Amino acid sequence: MRFDTVLIGGGLSSLVCGILLQREGKKCLMISAGQNALHFSSGAFGLLGCMPDGTPVDAPFEAFSALAPSHPYRKIGRTLCESYADAAVPFFASCGIPLQGFGRRNGFRLTASGSFKRAWLAFQDVPFFSSDDALDGKRALIVTLDGFLDFYPEMLSDGLRRRGVESRCVSVHLSCLDALRGGPGEMRSVGIARILNRETNWKQFGREVRALLDGEDLVIVPEVFGLEDRIVNEWIAEMIPAQVLYVGTMPPSVSGIRVQRLLKNAFIQAGGTFLMGDTACDPEWAPDGTVRCIHTANLGAPGIEADSFVYAGGHLFGRGIESHPDGFSDPVFGLDVVCDADRASWVERGFFQAQPYMGYGIGTDERFRGLKDGRTVENLYVAGAQLAGCNSLQEGSGAGVAVMSAMHIAADILKRTENVGE
Amino acid sequence: MIDVAPEYDVIIIGGGITGAGTARDCAMRGLRTLLIERGDIATGATGRNHGLLHSGARYAVTDRESAAECIKENLILKKIARHCVDDTSGFFLTLPDDDLDYQKTFVKACQNAGIKAEVIDPEEARRAEPSVNPAIIGAVRVPDGSVDPFRLCSSNIVDAKLHGAHVRTYTEVIRLQVRQDTVEGVEAVDLRSGEKLSFRGRVIVNACGIWGHHIASLAGVNVGMFPAKGALLVFAHRVNNIVLNRCRKPANADILVPGDTVCVIGTTSDRVRYEECDHLSVTPEEVDLLLGEGMKLAPVLAQTRVLRAYAGVRPLVSADNDPSGRNISRGIVCIDHEKRDGLKGFVTITGGKLMTYRLMAEQATDMVCRKLHRDIACQTATTPLPGSEKGGIEKVLKKVWPTPTLTQKALLGRAGALAGSLPQEEEAGGSDLVCECEQVSVSEVDAALKHLDVHTLTDLRRRTRVGMGTCQGELCSCRAAARLARKASDPALARTQARAFIEERWRGIVPVAWGETLREASFTEWVYAEVLGLDDTL
Repeated sequence: MRFDTVLIGGGLSSLVCGILLQREGKKCLMISAGQNALHFSSGAFGLLGCMPDGTPVDAPFEAFSALAPSHPYRKIGRTLCESYADAAVPFFASCGIPLQGFGRRNGFRLTASGSFKRAWLAFQDVPFFSSDDALDGKRALIVTLDGFLDFYPEMLSDGLRRRGVESRCVSVHLSCLDALRGGPGEMRSVGIARILNRETNWKQFGREVRALLDGEDLVIVPEVFGLEDRIVNEWIAEMIPAQVLYVGTMPPSVSGIRVQRLLKNAFIQAGGTFLMGDTACDPEWAPDGTVRCIHTANLGAPGIEADSFVYAGGHLFGRGIESHPDGFSDPVFGLDVVCDADRASWVERGFFQAQPYMGYGIGTDERFRGLKDGRTVENLYVAGAQLAGCNSLQEGSGAGVAVMSAMHIAADILKRTENVGE
Repeated sequence: MIDVAPEYDVIIIGGGITGAGTARDCAMRGLRTLLIERGDIATGATGRNHGLLHSGARYAVTDRESAAECIKENLILKKIARHCVDDTSGFFLTLPDDDLDYQKTFVKACQNAGIKAEVIDPEEARRAEPSVNPAIIGAVRVPDGSVDPFRLCSSNIVDAKLHGAHVRTYTEVIRLQVRQDTVEGVEAVDLRSGEKLSFRGRVIVNACGIWGHHIASLAGVNVGMFPAKGALLVFAHRVNNIVLNRCRKPANADILVPGDTVCVIGTTSDRVRYEECDHLSVTPEEVDLLLGEGMKLAPVLAQTRVLRAYAGVRPLVSADNDPSGRNISRGIVCIDHEKRDGLKGFVTITGGKLMTYRLMAEQATDMVCRKLHRDIACQTATTPLPGSEKGGIEKVLKKVWPTPTLTQKALLGRAGALAGSLPQEEEAGGSDLVCECEQVSVSEVDAALKHLDVHTLTDLRRRTRVGMGTCQGELCSCRAAARLARKASDPALARTQARAFIEERWRGIVPVAWGETLREASFTEWVYAEVLGLDDTL
């Protein structure tokens, strides 16, 4: 088997890169183990919410120059980042994913605990505002579902109250959900969303909420609707004479799963090959140090050859990097992982402090080609959460780094092959 | 001046297993009893050990008195606290590095102490417990088991209250009222409300474990404690069903105990400064030692995820100069300060072990009764704890849950016969699960919030095992916090309790933060900070 590009990982970064390449006529294979960070999405894409020292950022692009030179954004450069950002909204729209945003300024997403978090873009239906006082002075009805324990009306209500938003918490009993209750792991967002996808069920919810409404300006409901198509969210909103906000729940994320599916479909529609439930392993190396081919756990021999490989295997949770008592490593290619040597310095004692290990990742050159024993692997790119140089959780830059590095790598691969053609 | 302070026959300071057991014994003997604890129950050494139901075999060679006490109490606890006990039996294994001759000494010493010790073929040991190191050259079977110290402590508290005792947690004793040569009462502060409190007591019992040193100093007397820190690791699976010990003189990390869904390796033993007892942390060296020695007992531990690390302080009473404390007797120390120091109305009960808590309580209560000139016999050796009544669990299985669900089985394991009295089916939504790892339902959480002096999520964990499983609270802490906030009618608690609980869980993860443990923690970080926004200051 031979492809132009093999992409390892099925998350945001890999999908964006794969779609861009495939749409330009490159023959791409994507190897996806299954779940990825989109399944645990917050409903928004962060670009740069705060600086490494914790200072909040309102205009992310202007702040890039203050980041360390090893930061992925610095490797790309501000001008290119801005052009990628401008291209992002039409790109996602072309995949059937409308996004909300406020140009080059950060917006504010309402979280499940009633705080506002800075983000760059947000999925449609996610409560996303140009300022964090957008709800001040309003009255809210917070609605949950009987037996659903992964949405916390009291916590949300308390958070909103501190902002001057008064709220009332109610719970709706939907008999269609009774069968899910009691079974471990079943009464979770996606299990509920599957059932509420049926018209009779979401309409019953809409009617119940309408009956409970008592002049509130806002209705806040858990995001357990629109798993197949987000238009359901609009239809429910039309039934209720108030502004309806869909707030994220404990994972899995219903909108994240929908977005992941739309991106995957866009990749396949463009002609890409998607290998589901498989993992890359056992690369074979050419004498010049480039990757000749890769194997997968299920396919075995012979190897899959490609001109270039894009490695977007995620961070620790995606198993893009692994940790052991004596260090961190890359499980597939053995690329260099940038990390502290001493185990004691990997973590901070406070859970919510910036955790050093979150910033560990694979070292690359300026073009995001991976380093192995300090030397660039010419045809192996590294994208997304796997990259060293940024603590994306602390900075709120996860999606931004994923999208920007994917676009940059796609452009680099296309430019390189064009040059070869000349 | 009118003194309106409530008067008790006995005030027990300390809500560990010793204090809880003493409160139960005193209340059962009809004494007006108050127990005061500055934190939650079982927060000290009680909740920070292996949870090993010693047969006494471990001490047979070196500390015969403790060994004999252990086996006696072992047999009693298997009857009176059967819902807290897992009668697994135990092996003492001889590895190629160990001296097989020690086995003979060991077996003889066990027999002398009245402990059944049966030499078995290594092949049989490997068959009975597949996790054992296949290289073993000797094995002895003894009646070890495991015991849930939180459950045991809580059951004693429940029974003390059923017998009329008053229990005040989160109440710190700040002064002892001493008039001339007699301790007459205590002054305390309610740490939650800040209220100053005063109680008069005819006898005060100091049952504070290592912190007894401090309480004694408030009375102007000295109890020379020897704080010996012991570190332990919890693994994410129950790799063994039989307790595994090394057949050698007691040393570091030579016991692996299965408990509920997990297993625990320990311990180390190092003297620490008294001031460190409130802020123990487990060092990388201790972790490496525990892992290295643990793998010798059960090699599969090398591939098993470590859930967390923790450490406790043994309340040993100082003897000769012994840097590790390994050679100090685990025997019971019950001090009548009137005899020793000329101070009336003050008793210290310390030393001993989790295993011998009941006997410690009996000795302390006997002393209290003598001082009060009350001649009432102790009945704790024969009266089952609530939940362990004879035939009680069987009755629940027969009449309430003929075909119990997994959750009901888990609850039966935790609450014993009391499980049958929870409004499991009656209340709508009661069977919804708060904690999926440990199968804790909404009704069990609600019952604990209502009846078991629960003020924080960590208290709730000690009563129900919420958050003790493989996810370490990731899924359940917000669920449980929301429930707690609703019951307390204080919405702010949902956020503060969820945050505090996840911080507490993280502290135990920090020393073992690598591999699957760190991977899972990275996911929790992402969810709590980015998705839920719990990192934001409001």
